[in-house]
Amino acid sequence: MIAPHRPDNGRRPIVRAHELRRVYRLGPTTVVALADATCDVEPGAQIALMGPSGSGKSTLLHIMAGIDRPTSGEIHWPALGDINSLRPGPVGVVFQAPSLLPPLTVIENVALPLLLQGIDERSATNAAREALSILELDALCNKLPEELSGGQSQRVAIARVLAGGPSLILADEPTGQLDRDTGAHVIDVLLAVSDAIGAALVINTHDPAVAERFATQWIMRDGYLTVPETDHSSKTLTRRPTIAGTPC
Amino acid sequence: MLTIPWLVGLLRRRTGRVIASALGVALAVGLLASIGTFLSSSKSVMTQRASSSVAVDWQVETQPGGNADTVYAKVAAFRGLKTPTRVEFGQTTGFTLTSQGSTQSTGAGVVLGMPANYATVFPDALRTLAGASNGVLLAQQTAANLHASVGDTITFGRAGLPDTSVKIDGIIDLPAADSLFQKVGAPTTLQPKAPPDNVLLLPPEQWHAIFDPLAASRPDLVTTQVHADFTQPLPADPSSAYFKVEGEGRNLELALAGDGLVGNNLGAKLGKARSDSLYAQILFLFLGVPGAVLAGLLTATIAASGADRRRRDQALLRARGATVPQLVRLGLGEAALVGAVGSALGLATALAIGIRSFHSATFGATAFTALVWGGGSILVGLVIAALSLAWPAWRDAKEVTVTAARRSVGRASNPRWMRWRIDLLFLAASMLVFWSTSRNGYKLVLAVEGIPTISVNYWAFLGPALAWIGGGMLLWRIANFVLQHGRRPLAAVLRPFTGGLSGTVAATMSRQRRLLARGLALVALTAVFAGSTAVFNSTYQVQAEVDAVLSNGAMVTVIQSPGQEVPATKAADFAKIPGVKSVTALQHRYAYVGADLQDLYGIDPATIVKATKLRDTYFQGGTADQLMARLATKPNAALVSLETAKDFQLKTGDTIKLRLQDGKTKQYRPVEFTYVGVANKFPSAPSDSFIVANAKYIAEQTGTATVGTFLIDTAPTDSTNVAKRVEKVVGTSGLVKDIASKRRKIGNSLTAVELGGLTKVELGFALVLAAAASGLVLWLGLTERKRTFAIAAALGAKPRQLAAFIWAEALFVTLGGLGLGLFAGWGITHMIVKVLKGVFDPPPSSLSVPIGYLALVTAIVLAAVVTATTAITRATRKPTIDMLRDL
Repeated sequence: MIAPHRPDNGRRPIVRAHELRRVYRLGPTTVVALADATCDVEPGAQIALMGPSGSGKSTLLHIMAGIDRPTSGEIHWPALGDINSLRPGPVGVVFQAPSLLPPLTVIENVALPLLLQGIDERSATNAAREALSILELDALCNKLPEELSGGQSQRVAIARVLAGGPSLILADEPTGQLDRDTGAHVIDVLLAVSDAIGAALVINTHDPAVAERFATQWIMRDGYLTVPETDHSSKTLTRRPTIAGTPC
Repeated sequence: MLTIPWLVGLLRRRTGRVIASALGVALAVGLLASIGTFLSSSKSVMTQRASSSVAVDWQVETQPGGNADTVYAKVAAFRGLKTPTRVEFGQTTGFTLTSQGSTQSTGAGVVLGMPANYATVFPDALRTLAGASNGVLLAQQTAANLHASVGDTITFGRAGLPDTSVKIDGIIDLPAADSLFQKVGAPTTLQPKAPPDNVLLLPPEQWHAIFDPLAASRPDLVTTQVHADFTQPLPADPSSAYFKVEGEGRNLELALAGDGLVGNNLGAKLGKARSDSLYAQILFLFLGVPGAVLAGLLTATIAASGADRRRRDQALLRARGATVPQLVRLGLGEAALVGAVGSALGLATALAIGIRSFHSATFGATAFTALVWGGGSILVGLVIAALSLAWPAWRDAKEVTVTAARRSVGRASNPRWMRWRIDLLFLAASMLVFWSTSRNGYKLVLAVEGIPTISVNYWAFLGPALAWIGGGMLLWRIANFVLQHGRRPLAAVLRPFTGGLSGTVAATMSRQRRLLARGLALVALTAVFAGSTAVFNSTYQVQAEVDAVLSNGAMVTVIQSPGQEVPATKAADFAKIPGVKSVTALQHRYAYVGADLQDLYGIDPATIVKATKLRDTYFQGGTADQLMARLATKPNAALVSLETAKDFQLKTGDTIKLRLQDGKTKQYRPVEFTYVGVANKFPSAPSDSFIVANAKYIAEQTGTATVGTFLIDTAPTDSTNVAKRVEKVVGTSGLVKDIASKRRKIGNSLTAVELGGLTKVELGFALVLAAAASGLVLWLGLTERKRTFAIAAALGAKPRQLAAFIWAEALFVTLGGLGLGLFAGWGITHMIVKVLKGVFDPPPSSLSVPIGYLALVTAIVLAAVVTATTAITRATRKPTIDMLRDL
């Protein structure tokens, strides 16, 4: 049974970032990937982070996920806890490139974050099976990642997030390597999962068609983040399918 | 021109892998070239030792009807010969000595006419034991038979002429009597079995005065030889030297036009050295080739650990329109780069090792062989690089689709050889070859009498070679089987270390079984190589020492001069000398077994086991301890040679009658002994037939307890000092030999080869290979999967959880490899030592295991693995910017 990580207080922000700055060296060059980014992610928010390649979107997402740390500025997860308690658990991440572990089958991949949390193997497998079933990926349970198409891989990655029942889903250009139809389907699935478990969703994209499906759009350019003054927690505009299924 | 930018890119972006691959090639090239240096050096040493160990290089005998003066003149004029010296041979009917009312007589003998400077010109042929070194000199055994001393007058007979008497000026030993009294020109099978027992040396003038009349009446009983040393420069290679010396000998015979025949002692010795040099080649095959093959496998494994990335690169290039020939050219370019760098590094290493260990700065005994070894090593390096890098690139470019190229795990079907059970076939074939070789008595070097060429039974190598290959493949199969079918047990084993992730870790390992099983097999083969080399080396060293003790008799040996009446109680005097641990007295007599005169050794079974080392392999019918106990409990017990036991159809407990010389009457009389076992070898005894019995019983039966030899045990490093102290006690009454000088002179079979340098190189390479096969391969393999670990870290895996994945694989490969390698190594080493039986004289009773070295190998492997695994674990703990950007 998938049990979402509910924020301890429904209205406390999931993420609160203040003047985040991330600088790193790339050979002889100093790169300012993120410059004074300030933003909040509210519970249930669905946000598209827009910007061209190299604008700092992924860096912001990695910092929000607790994978990377800012050079300066402050970031907190008021509703989730400290940085060490984000993953596996309250934060689920979908990456741009194939991110399934090659030697594990689909179901083992989906169960992995739960096992990393210390959940016993049987429960983790059941939850993984349920997540795959919900996303109608039952048939792929015993496939290896290299036997999947790009779209299937991303849907399995989403199932992996779903199985963990996170409060915040961060998707880093999840359609970047997919064709338009498949990409659209992946976005459908992400939104549906976000709705189903009430998790906030932030996705990076440089595709306006994808961004248009989100009511909230943040803009990132040359490391600078522009957040609209409007309510962060607006719902998306397009209709999306509900998700249901039977375990594989 | 895509190749150059591609190679530059490889050097910049894949620096570690290029260096690691080049290191693998360097190991193979370095090992082969080092062995070339070893062979070059040892062959040269063998030739030098062979030529310096011959007392008289050539004995040119005047043939019936030939003119001795003409022969001498032609020998003296022949190119590259020095110190031509005439030696006259005259047959005598026997010697007699009458002293203090008793008369001692001997059978027929030989009287030599030698110039006074003979001992100076040929110092190894003649040694003075007592009295003067010039004048009338009596051989030691004759003096013993006659009870003659310096100053005595002996009489000897001439066929059909009156007897002659001479006064003895000195007692001498003829260390090279076998070759001195050879039948010149006769094949080995027709040579006399032993030199004459009775020999007298006279100055030439005296000899002529006595034997010229005999030459007139019975020319068949008199002959002349010209002894000379061969001074032409010899090629370093024993075979070439042999052919040169033999050729020159035949040339001289041609010049002599039938007047004389050449007894080519130097040629014969070089012929023996040829066999030794072939044994050196054999050692190369057994010790060097596996190392080079292993280095090749290492290179292939290093290259294969980057295969996924290479396939992805290739897929990318193909997607951009690169053709198969272009991809192959890139692969060839990479192979050429790695091969060239590796070969240069390997040759430089070999050169440094050669200068340091073998004092040789060349790869071959001649310019040609140096070229062959140097060029051959480079070629092998290039082939290894091509097979490891270019061939997979070509294969993938031809056969693998772009989609398939992206696969890194695959539904691993077992390799074809596994399905066809090639490993089991190899092992079965190995057993078959081994069995067939054992029927041949493990004869590796075949030197057929009368045929100038000798050959190596290379067929015998197939046994260990197939066992090595089949064993490695079988270990791969076992590891593969465990990973494929043993996931649950593996998970159970891993649970204490990996907790709830044990099933996932086991699943990961199972799906990567091809990689892990290959890694395990490589570690195991490295362990087998290191282990078998070290055990062989250690066993060889032990046997060389055993051989030295066997030849010398003990750490220090005292040989009493003939004619001395030395009681066994003198052992007590030696026991008091500081540094002496134990002493035993050894009687040395002669006894007739039927018509054969054999050496008889009278021993004290209680003390001999303390004073020298008796190995079980010296005996048959019981262990050394058991047979000594039988001698101790049964006074008339005797051990005889296997040949004697067979000739007389002896069974344990049979009574045998030997004829021993009575101490008082000097007449031989029958004495009864009981046959209790076979002695093939015995300290200080000759390599042919002899008898071992109780000294006390022999003394009772012959009426004399005179001791011929004392065997003294000392600390291994103290023998020379103790020998000096013993010499002071012995004075001129005997000779003192210590084992240190014997070790230097020993020339049995392969002990002539300087194996120490080779094994040092081998063991050094084995250590590097072990570290590389474990730590380096593991590090490269794990580095290739850093992205996988970065994903796991991004999903929230804690450092200890990541470490669980990494350590589980590392320990499986390392501990599994070492464990299985130890097991396989044990079997293969036994096989190698059995097949190389000819190298060991005497054969070892058990293998000597160098615990220290094996512990060092294990420690280095573990240290390499811990270092590699810790480095990867640390690197994956916190993903780098590059890794994050790759997600």
